Amino acid sequence: MPRLNSYRELEHLRERLREQRQSITTTMMVCGGTGCRTSNSQAVIDAFRNELSSQGLDDSVRLCVTGCHGFCEQGPVVIIEPGNTFYCHVSPEDAFEIVYQTVVKGELIERLLYEDPVSGERFRTEAEIPFYKAQERRILSQNRMVDPCSIEDYIVAGGYTALPRVLNGVAPEEIINEIKASGLRGRGGGGFPTGRKWDECLGAPGDEKYVICNADEGDPGAYMDRCVLEGNPHLVLEGMMIGARAIGAGKGYVYVRNEYPLAVKHSRIAVEQARELGLLGDNILGSPFSFEVDIARGGGAFVCGESTALMASIEGKVGEPHPKDVHTVVDGLYHQPTTLNNVETWANVPSIILNGSSWFNSKGTKGSKGTKILALTGRIKNTGLVEVAMGTSIREVVFDIGGGAANSNPIKAVQTGGPSGGCLPLDKFDLAVDFDVLAEAGSMVGSGGMVVMDEETCMVDVAKYFLEFLQDESCGKCLPCRVGIDRMLEIITDITEGRGRMEQLDLLEELADTVSQTALCGLGKTAPNPVLSTLRYFRPEYEAHIKEKKCPAGVCKALITYWIDPEKCNGCGVCIRGCAHGAITGEKKQVHVIDDQLCQKCGICRSECKFDAIQVT
Amino acid sequence: MTPQALDQILEGRRSQPNQLIEVLQDIQENFGYIPREAIKSVSQELGVPLIEVYRVASFYKAFRLKPSGKNVLTMCTGTACHVRGSDLLLDYAIDQLGIKPGEVTPDGLFSIEHVNCLGACALGPIVAENGSYHKHMTPSKLRKLIETISHQKTEDAHHAQA
Amino acid sequence: MLQYVNVSIDGAIIHAVKGTSVLDTAVEYGICIPHLCHVPYLSDIGACRLCIVEHVVNGRSEVTTSCTLNVEEGMVILTNTDKIRKLRRNLAELLVAQAPNSRAIQDIALRCGVTEVRYPFRNEDCVLCGRCVRVCTEVWQARAIGFVGRGKDRHVEYPFGIQPDFCKQCGNCVQICPMTIPPCDGPMKPGEEYLCRKCESQLMDETPGSCTWCKLGEGFGCGRYV
Repeated sequence: MPRLNSYRELEHLRERLREQRQSITTTMMVCGGTGCRTSNSQAVIDAFRNELSSQGLDDSVRLCVTGCHGFCEQGPVVIIEPGNTFYCHVSPEDAFEIVYQTVVKGELIERLLYEDPVSGERFRTEAEIPFYKAQERRILSQNRMVDPCSIEDYIVAGGYTALPRVLNGVAPEEIINEIKASGLRGRGGGGFPTGRKWDECLGAPGDEKYVICNADEGDPGAYMDRCVLEGNPHLVLEGMMIGARAIGAGKGYVYVRNEYPLAVKHSRIAVEQARELGLLGDNILGSPFSFEVDIARGGGAFVCGESTALMASIEGKVGEPHPKDVHTVVDGLYHQPTTLNNVETWANVPSIILNGSSWFNSKGTKGSKGTKILALTGRIKNTGLVEVAMGTSIREVVFDIGGGAANSNPIKAVQTGGPSGGCLPLDKFDLAVDFDVLAEAGSMVGSGGMVVMDEETCMVDVAKYFLEFLQDESCGKCLPCRVGIDRMLEIITDITEGRGRMEQLDLLEELADTVSQTALCGLGKTAPNPVLSTLRYFRPEYEAHIKEKKCPAGVCKALITYWIDPEKCNGCGVCIRGCAHGAITGEKKQVHVIDDQLCQKCGICRSECKFDAIQVT
Repeated sequence: MTPQALDQILEGRRSQPNQLIEVLQDIQENFGYIPREAIKSVSQELGVPLIEVYRVASFYKAFRLKPSGKNVLTMCTGTACHVRGSDLLLDYAIDQLGIKPGEVTPDGLFSIEHVNCLGACALGPIVAENGSYHKHMTPSKLRKLIETISHQKTEDAHHAQA
Repeated sequence: MLQYVNVSIDGAIIHAVKGTSVLDTAVEYGICIPHLCHVPYLSDIGACRLCIVEHVVNGRSEVTTSCTLNVEEGMVILTNTDKIRKLRRNLAELLVAQAPNSRAIQDIALRCGVTEVRYPFRNEDCVLCGRCVRVCTEVWQARAIGFVGRGKDRHVEYPFGIQPDFCKQCGNCVQICPMTIPPCDGPMKPGEEYLCRKCESQLMDETPGSCTWCKLGEGFGCGRYV
């Protein structure tokens, strides 16, 4: 496609593309995101292509391979417009039926419709499904309409309409004021007011400023950035272009973590396509604004989500954070003023410019405006990516959208904000998803990860899990993080293995306080949060481990026993065959017995027993 | 690893120290690990001190300094997978294959890695086998997966002999 | 042309050289701030965290390392508040629990007020202060050693673990290391680690001799060789 040299040419292109698609009567959206791909959606896509071809529908039906819709458990997901028909768990064999029945004849296939796990009711359309109905999908809904590898899709859907508005005759301060007025705060975890950040960067001296998109998304359990970048890279790019125009940057980087190969691929394609059309490069759309973007890959280091470590990584160095007495907006990448924002933050920018700051802050609370994408996972019925207005209560998210407990185990807690966040108990579920509210309660919104835990989750084990994670990811430069986390882990391991003493809890708190105040970077400073929040709200569990040497949730291996319930065991022998340690004995059709001395608590017998006869206490 | 292959990777990046991580990424992708000779060449060609290249190669998890097994089983140990029992999976793999993460089985077939979140959280626990993801894994499913791969290897060996 | 700024350290107004760190300024004016990884002629990395001070800004105080904080006009610094003393003591306790077998570390711990160590002792032979790496890189520019690995696995090593031919054999890495000074009473046996309370540091960073007596503010009050 030829290079666009003006806004008018872009609009002409948009018109032409829309005209070309007028013969399309039906659009089939099949999810090609990482989650659905794991459920074999590629085969579904191929099957549809074949079917459409063989039924001669190539000209009237558009097959759009989209990014993630957020309901990964139901994948592969297919949406058909018009009609907003939502099919889930689609397999390649269903292709013919779907094309013939639904696309051609307009009839629904009952068995492929979404079935509510509680009521058993089947829903015809995507809009009716409770999971989606309760959300406010300002950003995620934009994933539906575009194939991430097609800039034409983005343009037809109305993309690159915000950028031209800021190119000519608009002062940088005007753009920044609009972002400030919107109340947008960083979506990556810091929650820093975005407008203020851009303002500081604009005012900082330097002739080679940078904008960076932080797509490192290291928080385990968080995958919203993957979804947005994989599914709609042009949305992020457009946000970066607007930001670069505002602060006066000529170069940008998208730093994508190594573990997201599809996001890397789609970002690269998007940049190529934008370049080809002249939306990146010199004199964009005939304006004096020139801007280039490169994709940089992470090397597998959570610490590179920290801004100074990320910039060091782009410079080809180890990702070791530096002291930030001078902010990176003044002294950042290659010592130049740099604006670093998260994927989701950038994704919000185009719609703020298009619809205005009042539209943006019409949702949200006093301190936290707009919507937030949460990665809702763990022990609930509906897991997936969820976008809600700030101010929505945790209860609404977990029960109304998440559908409540996955099985008979009651929900006990929710972990928010990843390894820098904390755990909140059930009686705190009326708290709102809000930066300041959650921070005050000892947790944080963070990047939006929300892991739901039930009675079978041991909170001491959760604290141990996060400490192990942080120890693995710590760069090791400073004493409090490297040694402090190690010593906290030593104490918690003592507790989970039955050697805990009550005075260790006081030492744990004092050490946690020291680490949080003296560590060099955010990783170390927030490392004690999981420990402190579980001590605050779940102290009885710690005490049970110490005083009674018991793990109430049945998780800590040194404190539990696997045994076979004689009432339920029918002597089928499946567990004996599965046990790798020869710990189970028993004759055929006789009740089997586990030898506690040999049992390694690996869990394989429990996962293979079909009669629920293997118990843990 | 041939000098030509390394040459291609270094093309357009010579004397640019900030390309170090990209270069190492490409070497890792193409050869499965970063050989000592590659580290020396990269140091010379990019103009980065040898100790720095070695440091970067040892800092990032993406780079392996030793070859891995033919089938790399990567267990996701992210939070969502953890609360669904990924711990048990990792323990099981270590037990069954007799090696620790980062090591290779004597027959060169398997190595185990663990990664702190692959981003497919709704489908956890996830085990990735040479880049393809398996969802909702349990110890018994993992046992079957390992058996299938070992069996396939034996079959291939038999076919090669015959 | 040297420029000056006025900073307040522990209540005393000091005429400091612009571009120098708070630590350098304080030590120059006789206010002892304990430090381990700082060496006057090497770059500052802020790794040991012992030189922390309270930087009062807009009514709030931030705990930050004085070696990486440069003086600015009107800056207010507190080096010896109860909060700082407690944090410093805890850090020194962590440090000595890692490597009790070093006079310098024992000395620092004592001076930071450590009286009991509540963690099991480990007998590490390196505290990762980075002095050796920096002297090799910055002074001798040999780059024969460096930090390798990450987190718990971080350690100092030659490339590939083999002494390279470009090592200049200058011995500075050994001289500057706080661990290579003769340990007290010989190597400790496991279970017999203790704070002997008599070790003097003998870390000859500046000129050997008496310490800079703390004339301004309460300071550290050590009165020994620094």
